[in-house]
Amino acid sequence: MAKRKKLTLSALKKQERVLGFVFASPWLLGLIIFGAFPILASLYLSFTRYQMVGLPTWIGLANYRSLLFNDSIFWTSLWNTFYHVFLSVPLGLFVGICLALLLNSRIRGISIYRTLFYLPNVVSIVAMSFLWLWLFQPHFGLINQVLRPVYDFFNMEPLGWYRDSSLSKMTIILMGLWTAGGSMIIYLAQMQDIPRDYYEASEIDGANSFQQIIKITLPLMTPSIFFNFIMGIIAGFQVFAVAYIMTQGGPGRSTYYYGYYLFDKMINDNNMGQASAMAWILLIITLIITLLALKLNKYVFYLGEQD
Amino acid sequence: MKKLAYLALLLLISFTLAACNREDTGDRTVIEFWHVSPVGSDSYSGMRRIIRDFNESQDDYFVRGTGINFWDYWDKINIAIASNTAPDIGYHTLDNVIFRAGNNALYNISDLIREDIENGVDTIDVSVFSENQLEFATYDDDLYALPFSATVRMMFYNLDLFAEAGLTEDDVPTTWSELYEVAKQLDDVSGNTINVLGFDPSFGEGTYHQYLWTAGLDFFDEDLNPTLNTDRHLEILEWMYDFNKEYPRSVLDAFGEANQMLGINPFAAGRVAMMVANDGLYETLRPLEGQLNYGVAPIPVPDEDGVRVNWGSGFSIEMYNKNNPERREATWAFLKYLMDHDKQIELSDTLGWLMSNIPAMEEYAEGNPILEAFVNELEYAVDKVYVPYAPNWHAVDWVQFFEQGQSSALTPEQVLQQARNLYIQKRENYEAAN
Repeated sequence: MAKRKKLTLSALKKQERVLGFVFASPWLLGLIIFGAFPILASLYLSFTRYQMVGLPTWIGLANYRSLLFNDSIFWTSLWNTFYHVFLSVPLGLFVGICLALLLNSRIRGISIYRTLFYLPNVVSIVAMSFLWLWLFQPHFGLINQVLRPVYDFFNMEPLGWYRDSSLSKMTIILMGLWTAGGSMIIYLAQMQDIPRDYYEASEIDGANSFQQIIKITLPLMTPSIFFNFIMGIIAGFQVFAVAYIMTQGGPGRSTYYYGYYLFDKMINDNNMGQASAMAWILLIITLIITLLALKLNKYVFYLGEQD
Repeated sequence: MKKLAYLALLLLISFTLAACNREDTGDRTVIEFWHVSPVGSDSYSGMRRIIRDFNESQDDYFVRGTGINFWDYWDKINIAIASNTAPDIGYHTLDNVIFRAGNNALYNISDLIREDIENGVDTIDVSVFSENQLEFATYDDDLYALPFSATVRMMFYNLDLFAEAGLTEDDVPTTWSELYEVAKQLDDVSGNTINVLGFDPSFGEGTYHQYLWTAGLDFFDEDLNPTLNTDRHLEILEWMYDFNKEYPRSVLDAFGEANQMLGINPFAAGRVAMMVANDGLYETLRPLEGQLNYGVAPIPVPDEDGVRVNWGSGFSIEMYNKNNPERREATWAFLKYLMDHDKQIELSDTLGWLMSNIPAMEEYAEGNPILEAFVNELEYAVDKVYVPYAPNWHAVDWVQFFEQGQSSALTPEQVLQQARNLYIQKRENYEAAN
């Protein structure tokens, strides 16, 4: 009979560690091949001249220098993107919270209303863009038809929406509010975690509904507001598809966002080197803004920490 | 019930596996051909037949065709070339062959022709292609692609609308002043609504660079420096903007947008009486045969020193460098088959394109006055120059400025100045990186 090998504790731990890596290897390999490698490759390419055919040639900081100091469209696209982020994020938060407050009531068919408000989030962005293209159409769109009495009353020309360079960015932001139901679901989940006792106690103290929202609901919702705020900033800096479909960056580059310019650099100018440099500049900008936003964490009230 | 479910599952798996089955190619050299006739497209069966005929015509090579949607094709082929996964043979755009040839992505076609001549084998007769197209397929004095299709732009005119306005085919304009005079007779406007517009220079495929060419000008000089800064450049831009200046911009926009939103071609719908378009519009109008009485004519030119020219873009057919002599030989055999006189006619019929083989197209067009006019216009077709520092100079780079001029957000002077500045900036940045 073969002698059974005695396993020490350290050998067992080692075996477990190896097994852990084996089981995690599909994910780890995916992370390295499809995550880390492209990221590092793009960092390298950002220091090269690479036209997507042939080999990259090292040119040092030339791509960054050109973008930052001799590219007017770079700054236009960056400004457009900042405008989008700084307006769409607060507006998105406001609409999402309002919807959540409205849909946090116990009325008949509430789950149907919640589903309806969430539904736009499952619509493809292409279909959504075309739908709003029709709705905002300056001459035939439903929105201007509905607003016609207002235009007549103020004796003004109908708004040009996405066809007007001074309104086009705002049109895209307004359109984005249609998907506020996504953040609403997160707010709702957190609202329903707030203990009823707080509301009952405040009622005894004579608080009205508005005071309850301001003093109880909103402070206790700050973790989810903060989460949506950070995610909104990151997503806002990546805005691209809607402008690509609806306005093609126009009119007059007013909706030519950073992501759009990056895309054009790569696909239309065959300039993968500069496109990669743009991606890294965007990463740094997003990182800085996110770090600044994280400073607001001290105002976030986590229910579990109250003791 | 359970047995039935198992049977259905078995059948499903069998069909799936059968669909995955690939032809037995034996010892043949297999090559990949990417085209724009995917399953479900009108040209699918025709393209399939053309490939099958080649495979059945000999025992040495086997072509495996992959059809990709036209609008997806260009990104896919570019990414495939970049990642060294390009097919052996495929289409691309003729105007930037030089870019891929310069980066060693393509086989040298001239070498293949020379080898054929040395071996006494039938080869491709390049004299059947237009000189201009061949120039675009040439890099360093050698051919690195062959012209495949030949797009031509002409002015379509609606004879029914001409008749309503008391005009005949003899009144079809040839110069800009005639164009203006005839267009205004064709305009049909009631109040703030345009029912029919005679002509608008920016409708259809009317582009600024094409009108510049008709006046003997261009965006760039011979050294690819941006021009755009002469009085004549300004005059031509103003001519485009002012052609329908008697109508408010909002009325013109409403007219243009109505066509766009309804997804209709304004010429096919009888809303525009004259419009510059390519031969693709002829294909669009084919189902309306007998319902729409129309003709095509060369694009009108400026009254003084006008040049008969049209923007003749086209697709190239290219052999991608796989560093594999056997596949190179097989691909060359297939390319010669595709460029054959009769095959070009068959391809034209299948794809609905004018092909690059001029004698073949002359034969194909015989008896069809519209097609004949297009083929005759081939010799006046010129492709746009490839500018390495601004490959998309005519589209994204220019259109944003042009549209701002249309909406009066910029004056025509500002449009030209700002566009020129952009090209200069792009050149500086390109040179800094090269």
